[in-house]
Amino acid sequence: MSKPRVAIFDFACCEGCQLQVVNLEEELLDVLSVVTPVEWREAMSEQSEEYDIAIIEGSITRPEDEERVKKIRERAKILIALGACATTGGVNKLKNNFGMDEVRTIVYGKDAAMPHLNTMPTKSVAEVVKVDYMVHGCPINNKEFTYIVRCLVMGKQPVIPNYPVCVECKMRGNVCRYEYGEICLGPVTRAGCNAPCPSAGFWCFGCRGYVDDPNVQAAREVMDKYGKTVEDLKSRLLLFGSKQEHTDE
Amino acid sequence: MSIKKLEPAALNRWVDGILQKQKVYGIQARGDKFVFDQLDRADQLRLDYDVSVTAPKAFLQPPCETLLRFGEKGFESVVESEPFVLFGVHPYDMAAILQMDVVFAEGNPDIHYLERRKNATIVVCDVQNASENVFAGCMGTAVLESGGDVLVTRVGSAYVVESRSARGEALMETIATAPVAGARDLGERKAVWEKNRKLLRRHELKVKPEQLPALLEKSYDHPVWEEKAKRCFSCGSCNLVCPTCYCFNVRDTVSYNLKDGERERVWDGCMLAEFALVAGGHNFRKKKAERYRHRYYRKGKYLHDMHKQIACVGCGRCITACVTKIANPVEIYNRLAEGQK
Ligand code: SF4
Ligand code: SF4
Ligand code: SF4
Ligand code: SF4
Ligand code: SF4
Repeated sequence: MSKPRVAIFDFACCEGCQLQVVNLEEELLDVLSVVTPVEWREAMSEQSEEYDIAIIEGSITRPEDEERVKKIRERAKILIALGACATTGGVNKLKNNFGMDEVRTIVYGKDAAMPHLNTMPTKSVAEVVKVDYMVHGCPINNKEFTYIVRCLVMGKQPVIPNYPVCVECKMRGNVCRYEYGEICLGPVTRAGCNAPCPSAGFWCFGCRGYVDDPNVQAAREVMDKYGKTVEDLKSRLLLFGSKQEHTDE
Repeated sequence: MSIKKLEPAALNRWVDGILQKQKVYGIQARGDKFVFDQLDRADQLRLDYDVSVTAPKAFLQPPCETLLRFGEKGFESVVESEPFVLFGVHPYDMAAILQMDVVFAEGNPDIHYLERRKNATIVVCDVQNASENVFAGCMGTAVLESGGDVLVTRVGSAYVVESRSARGEALMETIATAPVAGARDLGERKAVWEKNRKLLRRHELKVKPEQLPALLEKSYDHPVWEEKAKRCFSCGSCNLVCPTCYCFNVRDTVSYNLKDGERERVWDGCMLAEFALVAGGHNFRKKKAERYRHRYYRKGKYLHDMHKQIACVGCGRCITACVTKIANPVEIYNRLAEGQK
């Protein structure tokens, strides 16, 4: 079997997820033993018109990006969304809480009206084109990334958890943040990260996005048990849940 | 079988002696809670603990373990285990381990569990401080007449240490010359047991445990299932902290040569949305209420139908762990019983 050709593209993001891939260090060589990179701005100068797997990092925030990602989709057999910006829109969706003119003025001041600074409400990649696989998280868990790559090369369906972070949190023997009266988004957030935040004594910020059927309503109802309000929960959901399905229903 | 009386300093000397020879996982403080972890010194032991965060089952069925390695030439089973001492297990958790022993030995015996179990010497310790949600007193597991290898009970300022098996006897070899516990000490120990049976009841079960199967038999369509399940996250916390929950999922990972790999098993729980999802996409318990009900049936009826034991030992961990406070077995069973009167 010939090695699949892989191209990595970045859109609106901090490129932290690509950095996670680079951070694989020695394991990156193993990855390169099963795929051939043909375009990767962060690591090589070549560009290519043909690829089997396109990896998209970042959110779609401008009309021209929408066109660009559609072209990539046409050329790719498999398309992977890499990181929260791509899978859900991530922190970039904070912007969607405001009007676009307001956003431009806040960011660019007097240059706000310049045509090249045009912007639109943030979209995840899946809101523009069909996405075959998602690598969740902000940033991604690079072990999960390599697992997905190996599955694709073998033609196997990767298994991405559809249960809450609490599962991995409990497996790590943590005491629940709620026992300390803190709001944690673990019960509605998709696992797969191995719960690093609660394991370090922080609440989960929800960076991997919701599980398929999150019970956000239960979270709202339970706030008063912990001396918190629905508003407290809302402000916690803002970072990764802004304008996401389930957040404000 | 010997019954000794040890002053705290003598108990520590005994434990430090064990530490020289064997790996010991003992109950100790972590922050404001208690966990079983590798013990370096006897004085780390906190036999006055209330409940451990994770049930001691984790040392017999770890959250994640490799079952076998495979490659082009076939596969080989992997059993990762060495002799160890588990020090400070409360009676209710020991009762749970005795249930796991039955489950993993029947049918197709599970070599991974059984090998670890064979390697384990378990020192049970009677409860000194009741945890926030314990109700072992209602489940008949506050005190255990037998089970485990050694039983340690605090009486006054000293400990009564009793061997309960040949392995326990061996562990107590180094205290062979310690004073034998007298009639008065044993009397005091009995008083501790009586007290624990009465006090470990932070929630009062209004039916006898042995009535639960019949009660559940009649409660399949009770409104409580739907009502409570509305607030369920399907997060599995109530399963994962439970000392009698043993469900696992099996998954394969393949290395970069795309041939060699490992099969591992990880904890799973019946409250998770895809627990009962099978090949072809059928989910036996698609609805939250079905999964929610299933857990109570599993604890109070299904396992009893098979092994004549109620699969809840009253440790109370699920009550603490459930963020939305809907996982309390006593609350639910009492509610079902109410309607019966
Ligand atoms: S998901 Fe997070 S780390 Fe990754 S690119 Fe976006 S902001 Fe950066
Ligand atoms: S700390 Fe957060 S992730 Fe962990 S069990 Fe509690 S709610 Fe779930
Ligand atoms: S625990 Fe939550 S915030 Fe932390 S990495 Fe996992 S999903 Fe993201
Ligand atoms: S059901 Fe709850 S109280 Fe009963 S043994 Fe399990 S965790 Fe403990
Ligand atoms: S009953 Fe509570 S702990 Fe159990 S799955 Fe539901 S929300 Fe999680």
